[in-house]
Amino acid sequence: MRFHGRGGHGIKTASRIVGTAAFLAGYEVQDSPIYGAERRGAPVTAFTRIASSAILERGVITQPDLIICGDETLLESPASGVLNGVEQAAALFINTRNLEAIRAQGKLHVRMVALDITQRTSDRIGKASALSVGLGAAAARLSGLISCEQLGEGVRTELEELGLDAPMIEKNLLLAQEVYAELETVTVEPRKFSATAVIHKMGYDHVLLGTPSILAPGNAEARQTGAWRVERPEIDYDSCTRCGLCFVHCPDGAIALDEQGYPVIDYDHCKGCLICLEQCPRHSIRSKKEVRSW
Amino acid sequence: MKVPREFYKGPKDIPHEEELSPGAPLCAGCGGLMTLRLMHKVLGENVVIVNAAGCMTLMATYPYSPIRSSWLYTTMGSVAAGAQGIRDALDIRRAKGKLSEQDEMKVLVLAGDGSTYDMGLSATSAAIHRRLDFWYLCYDNEAYGNTGFQMSSASPFASRTTTSPIGQQEPEGTFQEKKDMFELWRAQKPPYMATVSSHEVVDLAEKVKRSMAIKGPKLFLALAVCPTGWGFDPRMGDELAHLAVKTGIWPLKEAVDGVVRHTLIPSRFLPVEEYLRPQLRFRHLFEPAPHTEAMQAIQQKVDRYWEQVRKDEPAASPALNRGTSGT
Repeated sequence: MRFHGRGGHGIKTASRIVGTAAFLAGYEVQDSPIYGAERRGAPVTAFTRIASSAILERGVITQPDLIICGDETLLESPASGVLNGVEQAAALFINTRNLEAIRAQGKLHVRMVALDITQRTSDRIGKASALSVGLGAAAARLSGLISCEQLGEGVRTELEELGLDAPMIEKNLLLAQEVYAELETVTVEPRKFSATAVIHKMGYDHVLLGTPSILAPGNAEARQTGAWRVERPEIDYDSCTRCGLCFVHCPDGAIALDEQGYPVIDYDHCKGCLICLEQCPRHSIRSKKEVRSW
Repeated sequence: MKVPREFYKGPKDIPHEEELSPGAPLCAGCGGLMTLRLMHKVLGENVVIVNAAGCMTLMATYPYSPIRSSWLYTTMGSVAAGAQGIRDALDIRRAKGKLSEQDEMKVLVLAGDGSTYDMGLSATSAAIHRRLDFWYLCYDNEAYGNTGFQMSSASPFASRTTTSPIGQQEPEGTFQEKKDMFELWRAQKPPYMATVSSHEVVDLAEKVKRSMAIKGPKLFLALAVCPTGWGFDPRMGDELAHLAVKTGIWPLKEAVDGVVRHTLIPSRFLPVEEYLRPQLRFRHLFEPAPHTEAMQAIQQKVDRYWEQVRKDEPAASPALNRGTSGT
């Protein structure tokens, strides 16, 4: 199975929870994450292989049986590769409350399962972006290989290793049980993969083809880091005193001052760290749940 | 106590122009980026950034870069040598009349604590020795953050990193003390050096501005809060930077030709717990059972530091009160 989400969602942990739970259930297991060069908020992928015999295969999973997608905005981002191998997958799980809207686009021809993990995570543990346990529980249930108790052990083992305190682990265990109970197992048909090795002959191209050149200074503006946001800061201009603290404290320079000295948030690039909200002395900045990822 | 401000009275006076574009692929709430952004604003646009491998290298990730000025990427060990090469090239072009005065560039080394405290120390020491005319910004997040938060010699005592985990043999995690980089640099008496905090923006801007009148090595050590590595909600980043100053853990000071003065001394010090408690990397000091001995050791070290400051700079430092906020 293959997991997709953003850095900070706990995608690696989700794959480990399923892996550990499956191991406790007596299976051979392999799990591993892959990160790009980017950071918290950027697309992350993780892989879990579960088998009843030794797993000799290595590397990324291009033809997963299950795809677990933690953030629906990634479906529109080809670079994140959520849909690689979707044609043969038994199911695509999406963390969303808008499954009908996604279906209505008619682009995806795969069995889709959805549950609003973000809402449940927010309700249970008070932090909407920590999706690892919810996604891990969804994957465990869909796979049909892991009991609810084994899932609980997997969650406990992984969260203890991360140094979470006991009350937080208990809350996560309840979340895991809730998600597990709400979903049903999907049937995964065993597939045969060709084991023939192919030797690719590598040619030579001009060196410039392989040089990752950046052709314009300051062009990162074209990268819309606003999609990383889980919560959206909003300024109440009636109570804003134009002190400028939000402007100076924004790590990304995503808050500018207009001609009258009022701060203006650049939502295309604001990553939603909410330092501005914490620093505002008049509490003129509130946060709202970001609609797209909900 | 604050030293008198010469250039910037308040946050509103910080330059409004952004020298970096938004869209950098660094973590939300990155303290290193916040520090670089503020420093770059004061230095202005004509800067060549010489960047040691580390988190900040990811700013320029194909096909994008938030850097509008120039950028050179070096290995962790050779960043100050890279700065020397750039400075020499600029000087030669100036001498040949190929670089006008308004196109003159400042050379800014950007390096993390792994490069600054560990691998690049020798090259930096040599650059200071040669009196190279450059700025050096160390964004110190107290571990090798980019590769998964392994211990560096900047990791503080009793912090957990992925290579100094909590175990029976080492119940405090990192048992080594954080290297005193400021004092190592100061031993060579560079013309200007300072510690800065991303929270104290005016203090930071003042120091950068003051350094601009000085020729030679100008070295800055910034505590770079790291939500990902330290384990806290990004929104608390700036508050944590504030607590590092208020507890006395991160002293704000400068040294001109090796003579130190503190630039901002809290009127009342908070107990170190206030800074340690919100961070996952120090959680083991509080749970499951309080690790009193380690905590006392940290507090005593901070207290001893400020007692010495009071002796060395009696005029600047008021009586050292330890506050009891949080109780």
